Amino acid sequence: MNAFVYGVGSSNFGKQPEIRVEDLAARAILEALSAAEVDTVEAVYVGTVFGPPGLSQRVLQRVGITRVPVLTIENTCASSTTAFHEAVTAVDAGRWDRALALGLEKMTSVGVGPIEPESSDPEARSGMALPAIYAMSASRYIACFGLTETQLASVSVKNHRQALANPRAQYRAKLSVEDVLSSRMIADPLTLYQCCAISDGAAAAVIGKDRGDRTDVRVRASALRSGGLWDYRSAHVWGFEVTRDTAQTAFEQAALAPQDVDVFEVHDAFTIAEIVATEALGLAPEGRGGELVDSGHTAMGGRQPVNPSGGLLSRGHPVGATGLAQVAEIVWQLSGAAADRQVDGARIGLVETLGGGTAGIDGNGCVVTVLGG
Amino acid sequence: MSGLPAEIGQEPAPQPVGNDPRPVIGGVGTEMMVHGARCVACGYTLAYSRPRCPVCGGRLESALYGPGGSVWACTTVRIAISHIQPPYGLAYVDLDSGPRVLAHFDPAGSGSVRVGSSVRLAGLTPDGNPLIEAVG
Repeated sequence: MNAFVYGVGSSNFGKQPEIRVEDLAARAILEALSAAEVDTVEAVYVGTVFGPPGLSQRVLQRVGITRVPVLTIENTCASSTTAFHEAVTAVDAGRWDRALALGLEKMTSVGVGPIEPESSDPEARSGMALPAIYAMSASRYIACFGLTETQLASVSVKNHRQALANPRAQYRAKLSVEDVLSSRMIADPLTLYQCCAISDGAAAAVIGKDRGDRTDVRVRASALRSGGLWDYRSAHVWGFEVTRDTAQTAFEQAALAPQDVDVFEVHDAFTIAEIVATEALGLAPEGRGGELVDSGHTAMGGRQPVNPSGGLLSRGHPVGATGLAQVAEIVWQLSGAAADRQVDGARIGLVETLGGGTAGIDGNGCVVTVLGG
Repeated sequence: MSGLPAEIGQEPAPQPVGNDPRPVIGGVGTEMMVHGARCVACGYTLAYSRPRCPVCGGRLESALYGPGGSVWACTTVRIAISHIQPPYGLAYVDLDSGPRVLAHFDPAGSGSVRVGSSVRLAGLTPDGNPLIEAVG
């Protein structure tokens, strides 16, 4: 693709009720513009889920970005990776020389507990909150593949440990498997420390065509799709097929295989989600993703570290900002700018985001993007 | 008798209440059944009425599913969600020769509801959610 990330930025992540979302976004935008060494963009693609009408323009005018097309995208948890994908695709197609992708969310303005299920959806109306969706998958993996509760908990231990080196992360904690398993049960078998928390934050990226700057990070591939029907005909847990198929498209476009990727940011909204995602991305056969955690393959220092930022579980999951927070982390990794959490020699990185919440389909949206090389 | 067209049922099919998106469940004889649909062209089964078959675009006819099925996945929710007080069991149930439906179960009820368990539709919870119970 003729699309490069010129620069990225983000706010801190966490419950920040005292900070306006406009200020969280301004920090991300100004950092990204500064890193990109540009002052202007030709278009802006914004991902947000809970933002009120007009939020994008309200944010942008504060930093002087006006008189350009602004497109606001809701795609649940994949909202800002969808914004990134659309910006990349538009630049690659020659529509813009330079565009800004922005993700932002102020979840503490919405509520303090789990995301309220949408009452117009048949399963959400029955109390199928997001923790329950993933708990269903975990129950299936335990019954069918012998996944253990220790393997589930180990994902949380790993990602919280990795977040210790990320000063922008929501939770930086040294946890034991026992700590994770003894935390409050949310939806069997997922305990509190296996669930991402609500969070506030923003992240941004400036994307443009090739300008011959060796420090820009090439977008090797980007794929977006919504889930197919997910019903009695599927032998896979929710979200597996859409992630697998989106990744396959991205790998074909990048002319790369899963083994070629040095570092990943994947959608670990719950511990089981990282296990399913790593399988769907091709790092392990279906049902054996737990072994990646056992062996250290996906830990810092392992062959293919996953979620060096701490992931959604630890960096935080301000839903509309998450995708670009993932992109930012991978860009920092590929630029050698990840400081104490740097994956040595990282050349190729991958971002995977999966949005859900609509019953009957295999995910509202999945984005897989391959960067670097 | 799963899958028989609704008009063969012994009682009129219950109708959805207002904009309630959940499956319609009602008694057929002595059994509780899901009043869903089936594609006349490809045989795809649904727990809902829809404008057309989402698989092939074919015409849908009414169909009854249940009362038996097996648990595909399940969990017990330990936190309050909306107005539903915990704990409550949730299961994806593959109805015999029919669609997969989301149903509630009583985590403290008799019998085991686990992945692979045989269950049957038992009616509705007071909140109007499909309710299952273990068989045997």
